[in-house]
Amino acid sequence: MIELALSLVEPRTLKTLLEAGRPTVARCGEVLNWSARPFLAEWADRTVDRLHFGSEFCETLLPGESQLRQAVEAATAGGIRLSLVTAPASDAGLRQIATLIELLPPGSEVIANDWGVLRLLRDFRPALAPVAGRILCKMVKDPRLPSPEWAKLYPHGVHSRYFAAMLTRLGVKRIEMDVPPFAEPGDFHGLGPAISVHSPFGFSVRGRSCRPGSLNLPPERKFTVAPSCRRECLVYIDRMSRREGASERDLPTFQRGHTMFYRHSPEMSAALATAVAQGRVDRVILSGDWNEDCRSHQSSR
Amino acid sequence: MKIVAPISRVAEVAPLAQAGADEFYCGVVPADWTARFRSASVNRRAFGNLATYEELGAVVATAADFERTVSLVMNAQHYTEAQVDSLVDLACRFAEMGGRALIVGDMGLLSVLAERGPAIRLHASSLLGCRNTEHSLLLKDLGAQRIIFPRDITLPEMAEVASAATELEFEAFILNDGCVFEEGSCHSIHLPSRLGGPICLDRYLSRYARADGRPLAPAEQDRLAANDQAYGEWLWYRFSCGFSVSPEGFPFGPCGLCAIPDLAAAGIRAVKIAGREGALERKVKSVELVRAALDRHAQEGNTQEYLDLVRKLRGGQASCASGYMCYYREAGVGKACAC
Repeated sequence: MIELALSLVEPRTLKTLLEAGRPTVARCGEVLNWSARPFLAEWADRTVDRLHFGSEFCETLLPGESQLRQAVEAATAGGIRLSLVTAPASDAGLRQIATLIELLPPGSEVIANDWGVLRLLRDFRPALAPVAGRILCKMVKDPRLPSPEWAKLYPHGVHSRYFAAMLTRLGVKRIEMDVPPFAEPGDFHGLGPAISVHSPFGFSVRGRSCRPGSLNLPPERKFTVAPSCRRECLVYIDRMSRREGASERDLPTFQRGHTMFYRHSPEMSAALATAVAQGRVDRVILSGDWNEDCRSHQSSR
Repeated sequence: MKIVAPISRVAEVAPLAQAGADEFYCGVVPADWTARFRSASVNRRAFGNLATYEELGAVVATAADFERTVSLVMNAQHYTEAQVDSLVDLACRFAEMGGRALIVGDMGLLSVLAERGPAIRLHASSLLGCRNTEHSLLLKDLGAQRIIFPRDITLPEMAEVASAATELEFEAFILNDGCVFEEGSCHSIHLPSRLGGPICLDRYLSRYARADGRPLAPAEQDRLAANDQAYGEWLWYRFSCGFSVSPEGFPFGPCGLCAIPDLAAAGIRAVKIAGREGALERKVKSVELVRAALDRHAQEGNTQEYLDLVRKLRGGQASCASGYMCYYREAGVGKACAC
């Protein structure tokens, strides 16, 4: 049975989403004001099984302890499982993650996008279930690729048994993948671990020097690595288009914070649907709130 | 601290050694690799590589003549199984030639090289994005002896990792070439320029919206536009200031010279000059610049005099004023200059 997860960076819609128990996909779309359906139309009435809470991309967006406690309580009350999502981290971020994972019930999933987080989990919190996030599961995902031939030049790293052996060494039994440009159903395998796939957006590149995060800084402090933002990535979406050189196969692109995303084409979604039907993928993660969608004034209150 | 310099041709070894480089790194894309895998994906760079095993052997031998060592890069974003197996063979050849170390950018490859590769040092590439102690210890568990920190790391973050993982050596970027996104989290391709080039340099038009659905206020739009303008300026610095040079020929662009005292205090063993694809003259001048800074640091220590002197090496401090050239701005524009 396919599991359906909803990813949320911000906790503020949690209460509304879970007030009547597990929300349907359609209800998520209403509350989060999705501009398009995140995956299959026939899944509109399916309920969400799992909440992915936290940030994959920035340690500044990791939830606070009280936020995570509330999320755990809300998920428990709503009858939904919770996975803590973590980002690449400095030692300071790692200490924060170490504190957060103390709040999780045994058996909870922690999605790691940093090899150091996986080592921390293996050595110090073996009762938790580590998942390799999509930053660690490397594939070429350039939204500008003009043809499938380009994609074939760079075969996915997740398909290597040596990568699988690394995961085994760290106790990882699940990985997360994106749908790459020109995806085929056969792209979704990882030589052992169960596979979760994000929809309907993939990420292409992620940095640390943050353009929107520099908005309110004086010129001499802009675009540094040191975390000094006001979380402007929660406020602004940058919908991007190429001025020149764009082909009709360019995927719609946007940026949140220092991460660039692309929206799946219908063909890519179809490849994912086939992979799901074939049993290659057993969890689909719907992008909840850190995406290209603007909330309406009403639903964000 | 040792200066680690890039090599793309045999003839570059001698002038760079004479300029003050202590170690070299290079890539090779032999014909049998290209024939088998139909790409130059031995490492991250499509250009700036040696083309034959013979050239690789000559680089190692020439470096040995100058009592210098050579590291070979194996730092593509990721590898397939078949590529890993080929890289193990390449590693064995390189070790037989007298190569000193492999710079590895893939966790699976690192573990395989440690288990069944030749007796050779393993350096964890910046592509592995190590910036916490747990990650550094995992790399050590896998067999790494040196970790090359990514560009996007602060001096205190480096110092914390280096102080906790004392059995490892650490290397930090010091000059040239600045990726906008983190190499370890970059899943894009440097496309040919007619198709857009690197994604971070592609000419994207921004169209902002508020996530709460409210319209952007005019003042907000102005601030976003001003921020984007500053970002464009920063990009220019990040991409080597249009590959401009000082009157003395020293390159402008990403630079960590002001941070040498902090790097030394943190126990950083080596500093890396990026730019395998660059011209020899640029490489020589880069090595001379870093060597001059290290010499001044040896004379002046961690003093304001050092900062003032090092900022004058390129013949003035105008390029340093904004701080956009700094790898480690907390040591650069963040500290006052007395000159």
